[in-house]
Amino acid sequence: MSLPSPGLLPRAAVLIAVPVLVVFLPKVQDDFLNYRFAFVGIYLIAIVGLNVVTGYSGQISIGHGAFIAFGAYTTAILVSNYDVGTYWTIPIAGILTGIFGLLFGLPALRLSGVYLALATFGLAISIVLVAKRFESFTGGGQGKQIDLPSSPIGGVSTNAWLSYLIWAVAAVMFGAAWLMLRGRLGRAFRAVRDAPIAAVSSGVNLAWYKTLAFGIAAAYAGVAGSLLAISIAFVNPDTFPISLSILLLTGVVVGGLGSLQGMLLGALFIEFVPKWAENLSKHLHYNEGTVQPSVIYGLILLAVLFVIPGGAAGLLSQSAAALNRARRWLYSRADSRATA
Amino acid sequence: MRRALLALGVLAIASAVVLPGAFGGASATPGVSARSVTIGGTFPLSGPASSYAPIPVGMKAYFSYVNATRGPDGRRGVNGRQIVFKVYDDGYNPANTVQRTRQLVEQDKVFALVGGLGTEPQEAVTAYLNQQKVPQVYVSTGATEWGAKHAEHPYTIGWQPDYQSEAAIYGRYIVRNLPNAKVGIIYQNDSYGKDYIAGLEGGLGAKKSQIVLTQGFEITDTSVTNQVLALRRAGVDTLMIFATPGKTIVTYITMAKIGWKPDNIFVNSVSATDAFMTAAVANAGAAEVNGSISVAYVKDPTNPSLNNDAGMKLYKSIMAKYAPAGVKVDDWLYIYGVAKAYTFVQALRAAGKNPTRASLLKAVFNMNDKSNRFLLPGMVTKTSPRDYFPISQQQLQRFNNGRWTLFGQLTDSRPKG
Amino acid sequence: MTEFFQYVVVGLANGGVYATLALSLVLIHRATGIVNFAQGEMGMFATFIAWSLITHHGLPYWGAFFLTLLIAFLGGVAVHQVVIRPLGRGGAITVVMATIALLIILNGLAGWIWAPAVKIFESPFPLKVLDVGGVVMNVQDLGVIGVSLACVVLVFLFFRFTRLGLMMRASAVGPATSRLLGIRVSLMLSIGWGLASMLSAVSGMMAAPIVQLDPNFMLLILTYSFAAAVLGGIDSPVGSVVGALLIGIGISLLSGYASSFLGTELQLPVALAVLLVVLVVRPAGLFGQVVVRRV
Repeated sequence: MSLPSPGLLPRAAVLIAVPVLVVFLPKVQDDFLNYRFAFVGIYLIAIVGLNVVTGYSGQISIGHGAFIAFGAYTTAILVSNYDVGTYWTIPIAGILTGIFGLLFGLPALRLSGVYLALATFGLAISIVLVAKRFESFTGGGQGKQIDLPSSPIGGVSTNAWLSYLIWAVAAVMFGAAWLMLRGRLGRAFRAVRDAPIAAVSSGVNLAWYKTLAFGIAAAYAGVAGSLLAISIAFVNPDTFPISLSILLLTGVVVGGLGSLQGMLLGALFIEFVPKWAENLSKHLHYNEGTVQPSVIYGLILLAVLFVIPGGAAGLLSQSAAALNRARRWLYSRADSRATA
Repeated sequence: MRRALLALGVLAIASAVVLPGAFGGASATPGVSARSVTIGGTFPLSGPASSYAPIPVGMKAYFSYVNATRGPDGRRGVNGRQIVFKVYDDGYNPANTVQRTRQLVEQDKVFALVGGLGTEPQEAVTAYLNQQKVPQVYVSTGATEWGAKHAEHPYTIGWQPDYQSEAAIYGRYIVRNLPNAKVGIIYQNDSYGKDYIAGLEGGLGAKKSQIVLTQGFEITDTSVTNQVLALRRAGVDTLMIFATPGKTIVTYITMAKIGWKPDNIFVNSVSATDAFMTAAVANAGAAEVNGSISVAYVKDPTNPSLNNDAGMKLYKSIMAKYAPAGVKVDDWLYIYGVAKAYTFVQALRAAGKNPTRASLLKAVFNMNDKSNRFLLPGMVTKTSPRDYFPISQQQLQRFNNGRWTLFGQLTDSRPKG
Repeated sequence: MTEFFQYVVVGLANGGVYATLALSLVLIHRATGIVNFAQGEMGMFATFIAWSLITHHGLPYWGAFFLTLLIAFLGGVAVHQVVIRPLGRGGAITVVMATIALLIILNGLAGWIWAPAVKIFESPFPLKVLDVGGVVMNVQDLGVIGVSLACVVLVFLFFRFTRLGLMMRASAVGPATSRLLGIRVSLMLSIGWGLASMLSAVSGMMAAPIVQLDPNFMLLILTYSFAAAVLGGIDSPVGSVVGALLIGIGISLLSGYASSFLGTELQLPVALAVLLVVLVVRPAGLFGQVVVRRV
């Protein structure tokens, strides 16, 4: 006696349409929120990609900031050194970073678990040092400035323009990921993660899929990085510390590893919660005036891990299941009363 | 069912944010109301640069003092307005600086950005602030560009003596007093260290060849032993340490570990505060550290000869009354913050009964103030259409047995004319 | 030639700083199969406690040292019981995320309680310069290396020759079988965390006089220690210390001979790249056991 489960199209429609609708709703009172939503969009693209490599194919990447940096620097260098049109650099950054990710994925094939974690960690640390070295190209420690973003459409504020642009890109990329993962590719990735021996017996080329996962994740991060560079109009080594990689991983875990649906909530979490924690810590007594929002943020993170280990997606499943059970119980009561 | 829940969740968040946001009527000048002036700044309150966090605490304490004290016009605050200082953490990451600065301008609608810390973080927001015509005043960094690039960024100005002029003072001292010295430099490989080197070369002028070796290091290095050994091997007898505090202390310890004491050591002023020198002495021994030379421009809270100085007494009483409990007033960064806040209050007062951003900038760029008792005696905070360096005087000081002692005279590196 | 030996000696001294932390990472991995990203911060926190005992409670150095070890042990046990064990069901990445959350919390907590300003923490070893055939070294650095070696010897002896060590090894390798034999596996794992925590406290107290004590001082060391542990073989205690010394020597040689070519920026990336190459050739590290999975 269960309700028929809705088809795929309505689900996809809701998941993509609702956030896009939210974004396009004019923020009458507060234009700055558009800027914040732009960042949510950037994070969404990045963590969807990270989810592909860490959630779906099970390869832990704790240095994803490296690919963000690569994409951001690509945009900054192309715009600043070579006068390439700003918005053209978005797909270019995605492609170049994707290739970089594929190249990294190749030696990474031999590594797994903690070894891969170290390799990705090392990559994140090294890439900013390498950028610093080639100063004439990347601006070194001082970094690169590009033109401030500005809205080409009259009547639309810069912040709103950024938000529309980024969410348009995010919708496309989210949709692409959805399509990719629900088919053969997604099954192959999950096989790589859960049952590699069985996968090989079924003719799945492990090496190819593992490398591809890195390439896809890197491409997404490259696009996110490019959009980040456009939004901030400045890149330098300090812009991509290890804490960025950790933030992205947090977003994926909180959203739900191996599940695309939760990624939106994951992105919202990493954009809003750290700043909310900073606000909260200011109201609490602090020693010598140093605000320590990390304590609050870390505790929230730990709580999330304890309470909903499957992330937001897991929570949705659990609450959906609970609601289904409740509904079935109600119906069965109604049934029994009818027959009684 | 799941989708419905997700959709509901997203709509809930959406409605929460679309509902009316900032309150407050639109005022002609953002951040200025009849009762208050709201200013803001971004500082590294967390992360690797969080040791600079005392600066906004010092600033806030001084603003609280001004808010509670009746000024020359008989009213509390500045022209009857309370100063509200909004401080946000950027963790020294320019991406955060941009976000938080935009928040201060667009959401908190501050009157001006005051005291923002970090060369690259502040660089990241300079173009935006100038485009939005928001004053970016008294940034907490000694990079020379804040004064040198005024034409490009007319809304931006630094405060402290810049690193290049500090190193130039060392250079001129060496030319005058140590003409045969073999100079070696150990420096942090970033704009901070390189600015110092440029200044030193400028100060040495024709005698630039006195520099026999420079050795750089990265913040990510855990040791500088090889660099120090190389400097000793090169016969260096005059060492310049151009590094942030942690590595400065490590340099002293390393020299002690290899048993080397150059005849002269010049240490950059940011690392030369009492706290760091004490740490250096504790781990490297007093013999290694004694005789080190640096410069000062702010009064030193650990100097016992200032115990009865009016400015020092005022500083300590302000911190006791208006700063959070447990604050270590000996930390030089607090008095730095107080001194800076003093300069801003002077500018705000001069901006008139109804300050606008234009009148603030006029006050900031036409200042001639000798009354800042937190700076060394005789110092003047001065700007003019040809001089965009508010504080450019410094005095040499020498460290011995736990104390810095000023010597020589106040040197002015102000651009001539 | 003296120059070469000088670089090696400098490298050994640097490696000694991260050897003990590398050892503690290995211990955790052997016990519970994960990398504890909070290991450095736990050591940092313990070092602050030691500092507080010395500065605010007037304890002598060695008194504070051993009391801190005890506190660190209890802290490690508590972290395992309260945080790691309950989350174990969530999978490896959840547990890793939890250690990252701990890193964030401890880092913030230390700054909150003790303030981020640099603190003075002295070395128990005297600052005495030694000159051996033109190569300069210092008793303080030798002391740090000595402590790391002593730790690895003690760990080796403990696991090899004590009953408790045997039980802990059994619990890590075959938990189900161990339970059948009456071993309280979860207690064994907690003790493993306690021991690792003690080692990270030692690491912190040795490193603090060298790189100076503030809430962030162990983060950089963790990076090097992580690399050292992986290089040596993530399950090999001896490997971790050897790995640390090798990395120290490697970076020192790079900075000595190749600094004009590489510049200061590329020394760490090159060292990491070499590490990556080593791992590709020997995926289990130098001393690690290769688990053969022909897939």
